[in-house]
Amino acid sequence: MSKLKTVIRHEYLTIVKQPSFWIMMLAIPLLIAAALSLSYFGNKSSEERINELAKDLKNVTIIDQSGLIKSEVVAASGLTLSASESANTARETVRTGKKDALIVYPTDLAQKRTYQVYLSSNDLTKSSSVTSLADNLLKTSLFLPLGSGEIIALAQNGAESQLTTYENGVKTAGFNEYIVPGLFVILFYLIFAFSVGYMLTSVSEEKENRSMEMVLTYVRPRHLIVGKLLAVILVTLTQIIFFALLTLIAYFVAQSLGNSISLPAGINLDELVFDPIAIFFGLSFLIIGFLMFAGFMIATAAAAPSTKEANSFSSVFFIGAFAPFYFVMMIVTDPENSITKFLTFFPLTSPVVTLLRNTVGNMSLLEASLALATMTLAMIVTIALAIRMFRLGALEFSSRIKLSSLFGKG
Amino acid sequence: MKKPIVSVKDFNLTIGNKRIVDDLSFEIQPGEIFAFLGANGSGKTSTIRSLLGIYQPTSGTLHIDGHTYTPQFSHLVGYLPEERGLYTRSKVLDTMIYFGELKGMKRDDARTFSLAYLERVGLADKATTKIKKLSGGQQQKVQLGVAIMNNPQLLILDEPTKGLDPVNRKLLLDIVDEHQAAGAAVIYITHLMEEVERLADTLLILKDGRAEAHGSVAAVKKQFKSTSIEDIFVSIYNENSAEVAHV
Repeated sequence: MSKLKTVIRHEYLTIVKQPSFWIMMLAIPLLIAAALSLSYFGNKSSEERINELAKDLKNVTIIDQSGLIKSEVVAASGLTLSASESANTARETVRTGKKDALIVYPTDLAQKRTYQVYLSSNDLTKSSSVTSLADNLLKTSLFLPLGSGEIIALAQNGAESQLTTYENGVKTAGFNEYIVPGLFVILFYLIFAFSVGYMLTSVSEEKENRSMEMVLTYVRPRHLIVGKLLAVILVTLTQIIFFALLTLIAYFVAQSLGNSISLPAGINLDELVFDPIAIFFGLSFLIIGFLMFAGFMIATAAAAPSTKEANSFSSVFFIGAFAPFYFVMMIVTDPENSITKFLTFFPLTSPVVTLLRNTVGNMSLLEASLALATMTLAMIVTIALAIRMFRLGALEFSSRIKLSSLFGKG
Repeated sequence: MKKPIVSVKDFNLTIGNKRIVDDLSFEIQPGEIFAFLGANGSGKTSTIRSLLGIYQPTSGTLHIDGHTYTPQFSHLVGYLPEERGLYTRSKVLDTMIYFGELKGMKRDDARTFSLAYLERVGLADKATTKIKKLSGGQQQKVQLGVAIMNNPQLLILDEPTKGLDPVNRKLLLDIVDEHQAAGAAVIYITHLMEEVERLADTLLILKDGRAEAHGSVAAVKKQFKSTSIEDIFVSIYNENSAEVAHV
């Protein structure tokens, strides 16, 4: 027991003492925040600039052959409608640069739903602003008969739907029901992105730096593997606590600044649902899935003679974990589909698929139990194979393990 | 006769279709320096790995202090393997303390021993340096320190002086002498016959997994009618031999 504790402490400290560990931990939320901010402010600024330019466009000729464009709308933009028969002449003035742009709404606009825009230059911003102007002129002209500005805005932008759902005659929490079990999907990917790789690195580096033989003299292979697994679980908990703290800090900072936090997709923290069955299965699929992938990584690291080769082999498992996202719509909306069934029980994809289905609640209790039993069996076989491969491959420094020796006696 | 610290009886090892060790038997007494000799691939490392429970013998028994070795008896053994290596990303002192604990020492004792050892071998200023920043010779000294932690009753040193300069080689041999004087047995694997002449009480020359010479240094010399271990080694290996197994 004390050796196991020693291994856990050593493995844990080896990881968390690395500056790269904390740099990654800080860099990821910072990068996400930076990317979101840049995207938000970039889009906003670009949209504002296009609208500003659209307002300032004065050197534009507008020809309406469709009869759908209202002259008062065009006039409100500081422009005038030109005679429809002058299209060719107007196009020539744009080509020679005398006019910035020409917008032509053709006679068959209603049928073909296309109109033409001509520009005197290849400027993307100007192109966007003229298109935006043309679109606004058309929409506003069409919506004008509706009456008030509010109704025109409603027709143009639509309205937000507020969904209320019932189950067995009782009002449900709707999307808020998915949040808690959905957290297990996020946790799985968090663990996958950070921690599962540590198992691979830990074993393959020990092998590559030739410390394995000395370690195995003083500690049993099973203790070494279990110690590494438990250390990685501790590392994961450290990461989860760290990210949870960051989220809390961000929440309180935002509150202290007086901003009301509006969560996306109508999520309301007061309406979260803590369904014990969904939480049980979410936690079980997460833990068993993690152990199974950890087993894959140990086996891969033990089998490969170098870290580089181990990393190459392990990509198969990463593909397995991410593949379900190509089928995500089918998985959440079509639980009876045979592909969904196959992915639910296939070891490489089962953790993510079962976690997704558990989130949206499209798995019966029986199917969830069967999936959990299958995954547990796969996990036990994987870990047993991993320990065997570790025993065989730990001291193989130049060649891979042969299948005959893996499944043979000894 | 004292109780042997190492007892190997009728040991055979076959891996796949390859016979690595063929019917090997020997004993080592406490305080004895046992030179374990043979060409590369003769089965020395495989024998040591089997003695330490890393490989399972095909047949026969290998005992340390009367037990089949498991890591439960790690306090009895100090091993400097041929495949050298340490945790390159860890610091020197942290690494030594970790192995000290794995060998049954208390954390504080492991720290005290490590600091004293590093002082003695001239690495005191490297205690908080990462292993990867040490030279090969410095890393080897750290590994020797790990091997001798907790005063093991059996030291297994596989080519311990390989790559060391004369000063450090003498330092290492002095440390081996001290442990022998304190009653530890030493299995000393080397290709340097002058070290065998200087250190060994007994020797065993392995060829193709079989013992070709075994006994006290004087007895072997008498048996082969030679005054030089090197000549004996060369004469054994110059005979026509089966292909040497490589493990």
